[in-house]
Amino acid sequence: MNPLMDRQFLVLDGGMGTMLQAKGLQLGGVPELWNLERPAEIIEIHRAYVQAGADVVYTNTFGCNRLKMARTGHSVEQLIGAAVRNARSSGAPFVALDIGPIGQMLEPTGTLSFDEAYDIFREQIEAGNDADLIVFETMSDLLEVRAGVLAAKDFGGGKPIFVTMSFEENGRTFTGCSVSSMALTLEGLGVDAIGVNCSLGPEELVPIVEELCRWTTLPVIVKPNAGLPDPVTNSYHFTPEKFGSCMRTFAEMGAVIFGGCCGTTPAHIRAVRDMLRTQTRTERHPVIPAAVCSANQTVIIDQPRIIGERINPTGKKRFKQALIEHDIDYILGQAIQQIEAGADILDVNVGLPDIDETEMMVSAVRAIQSITDTPLQLDTTDARALEAGLRIYNGKPIVNSVNGEEESMQKVLPLVKKYGAAVVGLTLDKNGIPKTAEGRFAIAERILQRALSLGIRREDVFIDCLTLTASAEQAGVMETLKAVSRVKNELGLRTVLGVSNISFGLPSRELVTRNFLTMALYAGLDLPIINPNTESMTAAVRTYKLLANIDKNAVDFIAHYGAEVTPAPAKPTASGMTLGAAISAGLKSEAAALTKSMLNEIEPMVIVNEHLIPALDAAGAEFEKGKIFLPQLISAASAAQGAFEEIKTFLSEHSTESVNRGTIVLATVKGDIHDIGKNIVKILLENYGYQVIDLGKDVPYEDVVTATERYHAPLVGLSALMTTTLPSMEGTIRLLRERCPWCQTVVGGAVLTPDYAEKIGADYYAKDAKETVDIAKRVFQN
Amino acid sequence: MISLPAVDRSQGFRYMGLHSKPDAQMLRLADICEKRLLSAALPRYTYQVCPIEFTTQGVVCTGTALTLTGDDIAAHLHGCGRVILLCVTLSAAVDTAIRAAAAQDVLAGMMTDAFASALTEQLCDAAEQEILTHFPDEFPTWRFSPGYGDLPLALQGDFLRTLGAEKRLGVTLSAGGLCIPTKTVTAVIGLSGMPLPKGKKGCAVCRLQATCPYRAKGVHCK
Repeated sequence: MNPLMDRQFLVLDGGMGTMLQAKGLQLGGVPELWNLERPAEIIEIHRAYVQAGADVVYTNTFGCNRLKMARTGHSVEQLIGAAVRNARSSGAPFVALDIGPIGQMLEPTGTLSFDEAYDIFREQIEAGNDADLIVFETMSDLLEVRAGVLAAKDFGGGKPIFVTMSFEENGRTFTGCSVSSMALTLEGLGVDAIGVNCSLGPEELVPIVEELCRWTTLPVIVKPNAGLPDPVTNSYHFTPEKFGSCMRTFAEMGAVIFGGCCGTTPAHIRAVRDMLRTQTRTERHPVIPAAVCSANQTVIIDQPRIIGERINPTGKKRFKQALIEHDIDYILGQAIQQIEAGADILDVNVGLPDIDETEMMVSAVRAIQSITDTPLQLDTTDARALEAGLRIYNGKPIVNSVNGEEESMQKVLPLVKKYGAAVVGLTLDKNGIPKTAEGRFAIAERILQRALSLGIRREDVFIDCLTLTASAEQAGVMETLKAVSRVKNELGLRTVLGVSNISFGLPSRELVTRNFLTMALYAGLDLPIINPNTESMTAAVRTYKLLANIDKNAVDFIAHYGAEVTPAPAKPTASGMTLGAAISAGLKSEAAALTKSMLNEIEPMVIVNEHLIPALDAAGAEFEKGKIFLPQLISAASAAQGAFEEIKTFLSEHSTESVNRGTIVLATVKGDIHDIGKNIVKILLENYGYQVIDLGKDVPYEDVVTATERYHAPLVGLSALMTTTLPSMEGTIRLLRERCPWCQTVVGGAVLTPDYAEKIGADYYAKDAKETVDIAKRVFQN
Repeated sequence: MISLPAVDRSQGFRYMGLHSKPDAQMLRLADICEKRLLSAALPRYTYQVCPIEFTTQGVVCTGTALTLTGDDIAAHLHGCGRVILLCVTLSAAVDTAIRAAAAQDVLAGMMTDAFASALTEQLCDAAEQEILTHFPDEFPTWRFSPGYGDLPLALQGDFLRTLGAEKRLGVTLSAGGLCIPTKTVTAVIGLSGMPLPKGKKGCAVCRLQATCPYRAKGVHCK
């Protein structure tokens, strides 16, 4: 064991920034420069902490990354090298390489990519190679921490890794990360100690540390500020005595690593050291439940939880088409619909022979996590796609799946361990699916043993005893349920089942599936993989929870079914409303329903050309006359989108034909993250039948060119909202001129003017979305 | 620390370009957007008070690394002895809420975004009101933000560092110089011991005055 981790308690140092400010560092100044310019004063602070009793001093490198140091004229290597030497000179028993947040937020909220974050951390870690341990502190974004920890694992030479995050009084970090998510994710990743620092004083941290102690078996770190800052002066007022006595509370809870953050001084650390002299270590034995999480949401598997199965192209032509067209919005739509219907976890399967599954897995995971906190289950047989998904997943996901074959276990389980995921084990091997419950139980046991031998927790292994179709193997149904029951009771593992397969080939499939689901739940099924949009399935789970006394006082059941009369879904088709009227009134579901029924009699393209587009034209004309405003135009477009989706689904199922009046690449330019305007343009263009390749926001010049080349797009639309990002628009157009001379450009955005558009070489300026459509019609002459 | 129980809807509708009375359908959507926005928002602010010095380089915020450059801010702070540097944010969860709404429905995305902008303004007002209670004997100017007039947006980095906005609020700057979370505002409020003359406000110092769609309609954005 590392001697560092061997001590009964470990005392860290106290504040650095506030100590430097007391020595004259300006607010907003660069503390890291003092490593080179005023080393004696840095060493003096370190030494004061060592003399006060600190075992570990943190290097003065909190913001020492290439982005924050760019303006100093010094390299990260230089500054960190000096900082480690200064810390060493203090005579500290251990020197920690201190790493704070990068200072730019990662995608999707910010613009920094995960890979760039990883590389920034790598540079810091390599520069701090001479330190004894690596500390990430004051972290807020769990994804950023993951990038850092992975870099520390890969480049830190096996040094212990500590992570402390900063929580607010609501028990969450600024980005919304919860205590349980932090603990599940970081313990899974194999860090050595976790805890809290900064943001709050010791008193406010009590409930947060209490919660953390329940969620981790790792040593817990507490490094608070010296109380809350004075609102006017921003200074801290906790005396060393008060600080020391508050810290005793944490020692009694079971925390073992203590230090101070903003406003604490060597005297505060001495008080902590003195307090620990009369304190014995409180042994903790927390029982961490089976659970998965995103950064902001933890799902404890202590009762049946629904895994939504709809993000999967198997047997779905419309989904396959979406994958081929890289239509992420379609996937997001599927995600939202399932969550609203009651899914607790979403299965994500984006494998298709013709596409790059790795790239698609990354895009899908990132996109889904950008709009929802629901944890995900990564479903793929491609190890490369799996690892890519695991790498960028923010939280602790489920891997679907491993099976009892040696090759599968060798391939999948090390990835599960490395990224700290949970895993679904399928009870099959090279001999296929055993007919008996005993056979499947034996495979489950084998998978479990292998997982345990790799250090994967028992609670993180979920077993799928596999549903066979009742029509083909009627006798096998009860074997599956027997196996579920044995795995649950004898191995103590959570169980998973995809239930829909049970009714394949039978009439009244829903009836069969629903009853099987209830039987399986009773046999011990924890994670049914179902289509939550089928109300009877979700209802079966809710009803089971009621009857099994899980949904206490039927709170959830009544919330869903308590209304005396369930309102019947509106059937607008009977009302005589036309599609045009529905669009003009912005009635999306009505427009969709009308289109669906029209498709029985009318050719899809006739609906588009004779109903949809005229309705949009009419709305556009009203908009131009100032009779309606942008929101009403968008409302009409949104309704038309509902109609269009029906047409696309119909076409993908009935023919190879698709609606495409021309391909247009759209992007919000590099550096700009406002995409609402661009999205409005997109929806309108799509409604008019154009195929829109939406590259999103903050798009590098090169990506616009690559997409324009790939689709040989005749028209590219660029959007920018800020004056500061207009040069990016100009740069993109210049590169397009060079590499894609065939294409024309249309630009728009709040700060653009026709004159400026002309100046930067755009072919067209569009003042709004409607005008963009007019321009597209002109370019494509349709 | 500040509670904002409702969105100023008339402002929100205006931000999204709805210049007519919202119909029932629009109001239904507004209820949904407002509810989700309010549950996501974690309104916070931080501020720093510092003496200022008028120099040829600009207005120096003493004791900090920040110098406010340009003629407009100097004129704005004329007669002030110190300033309040303010940063407010609705938090990153609001960005997620806007994205989620947009993924579901473009109009909902647009409305949530506009409502969030309105809520940010409300937060600025509430924060300013709360802060000024600490300075009962001084006379404040109106809020002036980087990007107004010739006060460069490029100052955001120094501004945020001076406030410790990353640590205190979780506010960062993107490579393109934009505040993240997006519903974030930074502003300078001058404090004077003497009553201040009413300075130029709003459109007079706005860089968009030539192209502003509101001005074209004869109204104001605020």
